[in-house]
Amino acid sequence: MNFELKNNESKFLIRLADTATILGQRLAEMCSKAPFLEEDIALSNISLDLFGRAEELYKIICTLENADYTPDDLVFRRNERQYFNLKLVEQPNEDFAWVIARQYMHDVYATAVYTQLSESSNSELAGLANKVLKEVKYSHLHSKDWMDRLGLGTEESNSRLQLAIDHLMKYVEEIFAWDDLDRKQLIDCDKITSAWENEINQTLADCNIERKTIQPLSMRDYRDGFHSEHIGHLLSIMQYLPRAYPDAKW
Amino acid sequence: MQPEGNWLLRAPSLRAKQVLLAKIQDEAGHGLYLYSVAETLGISRAEMVEQLHNQEAKYSSIFNYPTLTWADMGAVGWLVDGAAIVNQVSLQRTSYGPYSRGMVRICKEESFHQRQGYEIMVQMAFGTPEQKEMAQDALNRFWEPALMMFGPHDADSVHKNQSMDWKIKRESNDHLRQRFIDRTVPQAEYLGLTIPDVNLKLDPSTGSYTHSPFNWDEFWNVVNGNGPCNQERLDHHKKAHYDNAWVREAAAAYAEKVETSVA
Repeated sequence: MNFELKNNESKFLIRLADTATILGQRLAEMCSKAPFLEEDIALSNISLDLFGRAEELYKIICTLENADYTPDDLVFRRNERQYFNLKLVEQPNEDFAWVIARQYMHDVYATAVYTQLSESSNSELAGLANKVLKEVKYSHLHSKDWMDRLGLGTEESNSRLQLAIDHLMKYVEEIFAWDDLDRKQLIDCDKITSAWENEINQTLADCNIERKTIQPLSMRDYRDGFHSEHIGHLLSIMQYLPRAYPDAKW
Repeated sequence: MQPEGNWLLRAPSLRAKQVLLAKIQDEAGHGLYLYSVAETLGISRAEMVEQLHNQEAKYSSIFNYPTLTWADMGAVGWLVDGAAIVNQVSLQRTSYGPYSRGMVRICKEESFHQRQGYEIMVQMAFGTPEQKEMAQDALNRFWEPALMMFGPHDADSVHKNQSMDWKIKRESNDHLRQRFIDRTVPQAEYLGLTIPDVNLKLDPSTGSYTHSPFNWDEFWNVVNGNGPCNQERLDHHKKAHYDNAWVREAAAAYAEKVETSVA
């Protein structure tokens, strides 16, 4: 199946869709592993929102591409280098602090991005973005609350959160290395960068977490389908059935 | 949550994944309702979790069986949730108010689960030969354990008399089990699948199906902790609980700090 995208808008949207899919899958891994039942439900619920969001974005992409493939084909039949998610969201659930730090960094980003997309000239996308903003609001509240609890809770929780932030910050630089596609589809990319920086810096300071200086990394851009090694393992689990039984309908 | 969580990451379509996520979420919610019901009787959730870990508390034996293929997600929804509904519909009229009200909400959600499970069975049974084979295999493995979910025969049920006298339980195990069998056999026939019981026959005089005796030795062995996954299920729960103790401690410490600063 040829998944090469031709439309610029869909090339941009697949970044958002893949980011939602991969983060949804990571959160689904937390099912039955959360610190208590209410939190288990919360993480599953955010995962569910992300898969719903991804599916709607893939539908828009399929329409824009006038494609002979479906959203399921895009999710289950593309390989590692054809995925365009942020590297941040494919990072593993080392512990609950990683789950929360990754989620919070994503939620601040998603809030800023979808706020701008809610004014898109593509009315379907604008409508979806408005719906997404309602969902992200809750996810953002949830992850921010946990940032406070973990940062200011106990010495152990603070040091675990610090470790998670130290690691995950490596994957931030590429998020804001905007390219022409981003600049065309988003109203003001620099505003997103500064909104993210301001909120993250404030929150980290408030919850007693240090933001360490990171040297520029030669990591290569997610926009070109570059990943950490985690992606292959995640996809091989997620895509197992449709790959093993290519003729089956599910 | 665990038997279905086993397939959550491998659900084969976006829809299937969302349905399964929503279902597991519902089930976790049912856990919350019922812990809350039990709390009204003066026991805390922490104590109940401890009882679970010490194996003083029992959970439904069916969850000690492994989910081996995707068809098991269909069989679990169709048969396990199907059996649960028959039991829970009856419990909506239980004499203890908080339990009864919990069951009313639970039944509404369970009926979705059962239909979603059956939908998977339809896809599999009418799919490729390999899918149909998976569907039949899942039915073979889950049929008898699902029937045994209703508990021992009435003559052997330890708690039956008191539970019936107090109207906590409204119908007997055998009565509910028979209702489930009579309802489910035609559904299997529609799928073109064979119920794994050569003695299953419709008795025209009663309109009910007769069946082979169950393997109660296996049932009691699984109840007593020796099923295929008893140890794994419990270890998984304990690991999630104890590995995350630091999170609960952090939340408690933070809440205390906030409370102190407000005061």
